[in-house]
Amino acid sequence: MTEQRVSVMVVDDHPLWRDGVARDLAERGFEVVATAGDAEAAVRIARAVRPNVVLMDLNLGTVSGVDATLRITGELPGTRVLVLSASGEHSDVLEAVKAGASGYLVKSASAEELVEAVRRTAAGDAVFTAGLAGLVLGEYRRMAAAPDDTDSAPQLTERETEVLRLVAKGLTARQIATRLVISHRTVENHVQSTLRKLQLHNRVELARYAIEHGLDQEPEA
Amino acid sequence: MEDPATPLWRGTVVLRIVTFLFAVVAIVVNHNGYQRPTLAWLVLAAMGVWSVLTVLGYSGDWGRRRWLVAADVVVACGLMSTSTLILSDEQFLRSVPLITTVWACEPAVAAGTLAGPAAGAVSGGLLALFTYLNRGEMSVDVARDAVLLTGAGFLVGMAAKMARISSARLAQALRAEAATAERERLARSIHDGVLQVLARVRKRGMEVGGEAAELAALAGEQEVALRALVAAAPSESTVDGEVDLRPAIQLLATPRTQISTPATQVMLPAQIAVELTSVVREALSNVAEHAGPTARAWVLVEDLGDEVVLSVRDDGPGIPAGRIDAAAEEGRMGIAQSIRGRVASLGGTLELQTGPGEGTEWELRVARPGQGKKKSGNEKGAR
Repeated sequence: MTEQRVSVMVVDDHPLWRDGVARDLAERGFEVVATAGDAEAAVRIARAVRPNVVLMDLNLGTVSGVDATLRITGELPGTRVLVLSASGEHSDVLEAVKAGASGYLVKSASAEELVEAVRRTAAGDAVFTAGLAGLVLGEYRRMAAAPDDTDSAPQLTERETEVLRLVAKGLTARQIATRLVISHRTVENHVQSTLRKLQLHNRVELARYAIEHGLDQEPEA
Repeated sequence: MEDPATPLWRGTVVLRIVTFLFAVVAIVVNHNGYQRPTLAWLVLAAMGVWSVLTVLGYSGDWGRRRWLVAADVVVACGLMSTSTLILSDEQFLRSVPLITTVWACEPAVAAGTLAGPAAGAVSGGLLALFTYLNRGEMSVDVARDAVLLTGAGFLVGMAAKMARISSARLAQALRAEAATAERERLARSIHDGVLQVLARVRKRGMEVGGEAAELAALAGEQEVALRALVAAAPSESTVDGEVDLRPAIQLLATPRTQISTPATQVMLPAQIAVELTSVVREALSNVAEHAGPTARAWVLVEDLGDEVVLSVRDDGPGIPAGRIDAAAEEGRMGIAQSIRGRVASLGGTLELQTGPGEGTEWELRVARPGQGKKKSGNEKGAR
């Protein structure tokens, strides 16, 4: 990590929560460069301020946080999105991660966990909860079982499956490293690789869908 | 609620009126040949009065009862039995219609409409029996009447039964839909309001410390419980009695217990899902009891297509090697034995991994019955 302060943008439609989180982060040395209450504003402001990390809530009204995540990570390679949601770890969290978010944290996490998660996200690590690991594992298995895209769908290596299962069972990266007799860094790499494959596949699928439905053409005036 | 067979009752009423008009014409045409024409007019008058009564009765709720339908059958059989007094021998030979004509077929239809195919067929059979008794001999006409009477009663009864069943199903589906919509509305509002505030209270309270931390812990417990409740969608059971395993397992979440599941449904026969849920609950209570109050637990639900895997892990002190045997000798392996027994009865396997300082991990595998055609956790088929 560089000495430069990590710039963070907080996106949440709940002012009480948004300001609380912004204050927590500011108190702990992060530079909160912007806040936003809806997805449209989030994308617009992120383009202007290019923060290192966007803390993204998923329940944002008409345009969802998933959509905003897709656009921000697509347009701004230097910006990482960390989903912070009260959601019951369900399909919306999985969708956000497929859209490009590099991690997920529940809102009930402590301030220390939040700070640590933002720091790791800024450093390029994937922030996985056990719940997210369960979702990602399930998604790979769903794709493997679906008959239509077995050829193009990404697959987990045996090691990656092993690592993801241990994450889903609540082991920390260090515990996993000890158990599998590999380095801590290797564990992180495996976890990141499972996310990257999923996100890449998602982008390819979206592009294919757009081409098939003529959405890649500029609308005629 | 209106009887779903109401259109059939209306049909019965129309049939009664039309068959009465038919009887009037038949008696007018044949009255010159009757041995007792006066009695014929009296019987026709009685049929008219009874027609008015049944039309009124079957048009409203008060007459759609057993007693009126039974009386209808009795009256039709009774009036039909005056035929031997009215029709001449020559008319019997010529197969002139009995005095009640087709008017007498209506009670079979009414009985079917009221009480289903069996009642319709029995009433039709009774009317056919009286037709035979009045004719005094078996003939092609009598046999044909018997088939038509029992058949009509049976078919109308079938239609009435189906109408009632599909109406009940529709009502059930509508109720389920309304409940789901209401649940989603509540979930959204809880999610946007209460949950956000609880999360904030918990966080701030922890930071402030002291008494506030106690309040924060309480808020945190409620937050997790509420989130689990909101996330656990009502389990929709499919036609073949399968339910999604996830909602029930998710309700076991607490601040110390993390539940991880796939994003798609994990469909299992209802009784297996119930049994698995209670096994997991038992394993978790085992954690609370033996791993200490600060131990955390994780539950992972995996759908491998042909089998479902449930893992329950805790970060407690674990069970030192040899302790299991010792405990078994002391008869203290109650919970482990009970879990093992229940998993075995589901045809599943159970693995226990433990060691000092490593926590305890149960891994439970249950084969999905009738697997091979089903896709793993795939919602495509269910949608």
